[in-house]
Amino acid sequence: MSPGPATALLAAVATAGFLVDRLWALAAMVVILVAVCLRAPVERRFIYISGALFSALGVIVISPLMWSSGGGTLLWEGPTLPVIGPIDISTDEIQIAVVNGLRLAVVALAFSAYTLLVDHDRLVSAAGFARRSALAVALATRLVPTLERDAAGMADSVRGRGVHLHGARGYATLLSPLVAGSLERATGLAEAMEARGFGRSGATRAPRPPWAYADYVALGGAVVLVGVAALWL
Amino acid sequence: MALASVSDLSFAYPGSIPAVRDISLELEAGEIVALLGPSGSGKSTLLRALAGLVPHFHGGTFSGRVVVAGLDTRTSGPADLAGTVASVFQDPEDQIVMTRVENEVAFGLENLGVPPEQIWPRTHAALAQVGAGHLAERRTVELSGGELQRVCLASALALEPQLLLLDEPTSQLDAEGADAFLAHVEQARCAVVLSEQRVDRALAIADRVIMMEEGRIVLDAPVAEARGWLSTRRPRYGGGAVPDDPSPSVPGGQPLVRLDDVHFAYGGGPEVLGGASLVVHRGEIVALEGRNGSGKTTLARIAAGLVQPTSGTVARDGRATYLSQDPGRHLVRETALDEVALGVNGDQVRAAAALERFGLTFATSRHPRDLSSGERERLGIAAISVSEPDLLVLDEPTRGIDPDRKAALSEWLLEQAASGRAVLVATHDPLLPAHRRVRLGQPLEVPVAV
Repeated sequence: MSPGPATALLAAVATAGFLVDRLWALAAMVVILVAVCLRAPVERRFIYISGALFSALGVIVISPLMWSSGGGTLLWEGPTLPVIGPIDISTDEIQIAVVNGLRLAVVALAFSAYTLLVDHDRLVSAAGFARRSALAVALATRLVPTLERDAAGMADSVRGRGVHLHGARGYATLLSPLVAGSLERATGLAEAMEARGFGRSGATRAPRPPWAYADYVALGGAVVLVGVAALWL
Repeated sequence: MALASVSDLSFAYPGSIPAVRDISLELEAGEIVALLGPSGSGKSTLLRALAGLVPHFHGGTFSGRVVVAGLDTRTSGPADLAGTVASVFQDPEDQIVMTRVENEVAFGLENLGVPPEQIWPRTHAALAQVGAGHLAERRTVELSGGELQRVCLASALALEPQLLLLDEPTSQLDAEGADAFLAHVEQARCAVVLSEQRVDRALAIADRVIMMEEGRIVLDAPVAEARGWLSTRRPRYGGGAVPDDPSPSVPGGQPLVRLDDVHFAYGGGPEVLGGASLVVHRGEIVALEGRNGSGKTTLARIAAGLVQPTSGTVARDGRATYLSQDPGRHLVRETALDEVALGVNGDQVRAAAALERFGLTFATSRHPRDLSSGERERLGIAAISVSEPDLLVLDEPTRGIDPDRKAALSEWLLEQAASGRAVLVATHDPLLPAHRRVRLGQPLEVPVAV
């Protein structure tokens, strides 16, 4: 599928996640999105899928304790805490917590599928943006794992000398060298890009494959999904 | 007529002494030239001059003339020369632009204004040429170092250059990865200038050898003649023979670290170590060998106490320090003195003494990132040895260093062992001295950035 229609479809699913309040519909969207994310390489998908599902679980477990709906059947009544107020759990609160948790899962999984599976290079260039904007997006996407690796290397370098970093303040001392390192990398990258002709006039674009039938179906499906979610679900 | 000619080239980076002086040479179409020399000898600067990056990208003081395929680099910049000249640099992480492999290879073709209908065929042909056709749809962050460097080579070959410039392209690869990379270079249908510290491999594919020292060419000869010159005048570059290891018998020191049946897996991934056992004694050097992904680094980090195994036991008697791969990238303080003092609670007297031991007194108040790559590596070693640990753990310390520096490092390791320390070195380098060599695991390609 082309990146444009794929992104439109994922955005529609995420939007529908906000509009829908039927449990079965939200659960179905979560199952489908997990199945989509499982197409990504195992070492990358784990953190995204587990992050989305655990966040949703957190909402389901914690949110009934944090507010009182005043409706439904009261299942448990606990103490009254300062600031928070009375702690209780009712059937209404559980149902609303599950809906909100599943909504969060839908949005997070749709974003995960976008990050894991969509070709960002082609998406931005297909949108007709300036080429430099497309490049900036691609480079920003690549920056995160590189920074992550450099930060881990620096932490190892310090701990490897028997020095322990304590808390956020300790790790904050690595920020300055991390920035210096990324500037050094940026200079190297700029040199490599210039050596590959970046900035020369008369640049062309590699032709992108024309939309297939599935792309039109995905785009239409995105519109229909949002409409159905708003009107009937 | 020569493909490229360099006449009386001298160049100094801004605020520096000349990096190259009075260089004159000619390159013929189709020849493969091995460019040798110690770090800081001017090899990279010469390659940059041939690509037009010197002086256009770096600034500085330029004199002389460089002409490539009729284009004078004084008037033609790197973007004008791109396509005629293509470059592959040392670290693939610093040259990858796009998020997908095929888009990465197509990037240069798009810049050059290649007709759109030719871009994908040339992209896929170049990937196939370096044995990376199967990677076309992959994300660049998912590739191993070896795979990434092959993609960089494909990106260069897709431009169909007349002159291919390779600046220590195998320095981040293991031995097998380097062999595979250079085999693809040998198939390139263009002139190649290959700057390389793995001298044997470079000589095996070269027609001609240029050696540089202190910014000047000291040898320019056909490969057969160059081998003779190197073996008599620069025996460390003549290379070939694996030197004798120190006595293989363990000097009988007490065990400093003992790992029993150690297992380890990152996150939810596959097991990297599946039941490794190892003992390192005081006074010995143990080399951990194996391909990328075989678990050398993980085992070294476990031995140094940086990570805990998933299962198994680790017993350590004494203090360990750890030198990571590419230590020059992981310096964290504002001056060289502070960098070394970090390991001894800020004791600047001990730090200054360590800097002196490694010939870095001149750098005391300089920012570590202002130092050359060789000086940074020495600074990294000074930083881990200043606290006089019982166990030194080093991860690929010879990767990308020249034969002279490798010899100096070998001597230092032997001194450390002789003084009663234990040394554990994760390495693929058979020339590094060791009392024992332990080979790990199955070969496995691993991502460099996950």
